Amino acid sequence: MSRLNKIEDIFLKIGSVDRRWIFIIIAIVVIVPILVPIGLPIRATDTSKKVYDAIEALPKGSNVLLSIEYSPSTKPENHPMTISIMRHLFRNNQKVYITCLWPDGQFMAQDALKQVAEGEFNKIYGEDYVLLGYRPGGEAVVKGIVSNIRKLFSVDARQTKVDDIPMMDGITNFKDFDFLFSASAGYPGTIEWVQYAADPTGVPMSSGVTSIQVNEVMPYVQSGQMVGVLAGMPGAAEYESLINQKGSATSGMDAQSVAHLVIVLFIVLGNISFFIERKRSKKY
Amino acid sequence: MEFSAILGAWVATFLTIGIFSYLYKDNPFYKVAEHLFVGVSAGYLLSLGFWTQLQPNLFGRLFPAKHYDPDTITYTIYNVLSFFSSTIFPEGGIDKGHDQHLTYLIPLVLGVMMLLSLIPRLSWMARWGIAYVVGMAAGLKAYGYLNSNVLGQIKGTAVNLFDFNLPIFSLSSPSIFNNLIIFVGTICGLLYFYFSKEHKGLLGKASKIGIYFLMISFGASFGFAVMGRISLLIGRFTDLIKFSGSDYSYATFWVLLIIVSALGYAAYQEKDADTLASTDNVDSSTK
Repeated sequence: MSRLNKIEDIFLKIGSVDRRWIFIIIAIVVIVPILVPIGLPIRATDTSKKVYDAIEALPKGSNVLLSIEYSPSTKPENHPMTISIMRHLFRNNQKVYITCLWPDGQFMAQDALKQVAEGEFNKIYGEDYVLLGYRPGGEAVVKGIVSNIRKLFSVDARQTKVDDIPMMDGITNFKDFDFLFSASAGYPGTIEWVQYAADPTGVPMSSGVTSIQVNEVMPYVQSGQMVGVLAGMPGAAEYESLINQKGSATSGMDAQSVAHLVIVLFIVLGNISFFIERKRSKKY
Repeated sequence: MEFSAILGAWVATFLTIGIFSYLYKDNPFYKVAEHLFVGVSAGYLLSLGFWTQLQPNLFGRLFPAKHYDPDTITYTIYNVLSFFSSTIFPEGGIDKGHDQHLTYLIPLVLGVMMLLSLIPRLSWMARWGIAYVVGMAAGLKAYGYLNSNVLGQIKGTAVNLFDFNLPIFSLSSPSIFNNLIIFVGTICGLLYFYFSKEHKGLLGKASKIGIYFLMISFGASFGFAVMGRISLLIGRFTDLIKFSGSDYSYATFWVLLIIVSALGYAAYQEKDADTLASTDNVDSSTK
């Protein structure tokens, strides 16, 4: 048997390896960088910078609507974005109004607010921020916020009447907000906000989405319907570096990069094995 | 640390490792985690939908505390309902800041009609409720889609190819080269979906270029999907590492040990049973 055949046999063996070995290798390459960080550099992309610049350009005391549309299942991607955006908004003394199109979003928002608004900035509920909470109905809720937010949210998440909340004075519909940021993991989320709120009213909006949504949302960014986007965990890590406050996204990026390299290697090996197999089957 | 936090960590660890155990093979730990997830999600959604929408926004508008008058028919009905459940219908009306809107009887009736699909004889009534929802959603979607996805995107792709104020090449910001890519990609991508003429000659070549653009887009989607899944895996592992500490009574190690031991023992038993069965087969064939 020639040396080339021997090498081909090795590739064929790799190609037919039990998939459970691949799962174990992926687990190892994800766990090791979490335990022993490499500290790979993070450079902000244009889309992330645009989000940062848009929020930075808002005058002090602007009304910012922050919509939380994700659940614990996508927490590693969306939650660091929400935390970073909240830090940026509270640091710049903006008024933050939080709504949720997803039921679990309310708990994600409460978690982030406890950490950032209460723990880091000592902000006052009802004066600096308000959690309006979750309302079911998807795009109907977005339409409701656009036309008359008070009709939809007569009480906030704490069951306080919105008329009794000081920062709700003068807020009647979507046009009363200066900026919208949607932290989204799917439907209803960013796309519905573009279609039913930002486009018809002209209020600028931006979004932080899961990686899987990036391709869907990117056309809105390219066409200017959205101001930048935070794309998945890398987007969150970039934003953490932009506001100079590292968090869970930054620490996850080493594992992310190493895992990607290994996956690319598997794809290459799998393809080599496939072509060798095809060549041999043609031969015989 | 509070007992509830430790218990929560143990439950989360068990459910995470239980779900991961499916990568080895289907097993009872995975089934428990899966069924628990489906059941809890359904119950949670139902409860949240009721207490955040139906109770405050529907009943709260039909029986608001603001207009409470026990002598009216509406509030007589309310008081009867209140007798059965004072949590949903508290004494003195529902105080959620609404005025009374009896027009909300229409969604209530439509909602009840939808539930009638459970009774075969009356299931036809459910169509009215479904028809309303479908019609409303279609109407709502049509405008939003046309405005943002059709007009907005046409506007976005209508780029000036000869804007000499732009640089010739740039990686991500607007440039003549990027505008050319947008123009060629859009036209060729659309031509690929033009089926009224056979894809031959110039049309064939253009549609082939369109396929390449589509393939690049699918490749990017796949890449992002992988990235998303790895991010979620990182999230789970980060939690498992956190729960493996002494603060959580080494939850990860114990749960992992229990599940791996149980699966290992089951595999051993299975192997033993297979060996016995094959020995029996050999014996019976010899006889």
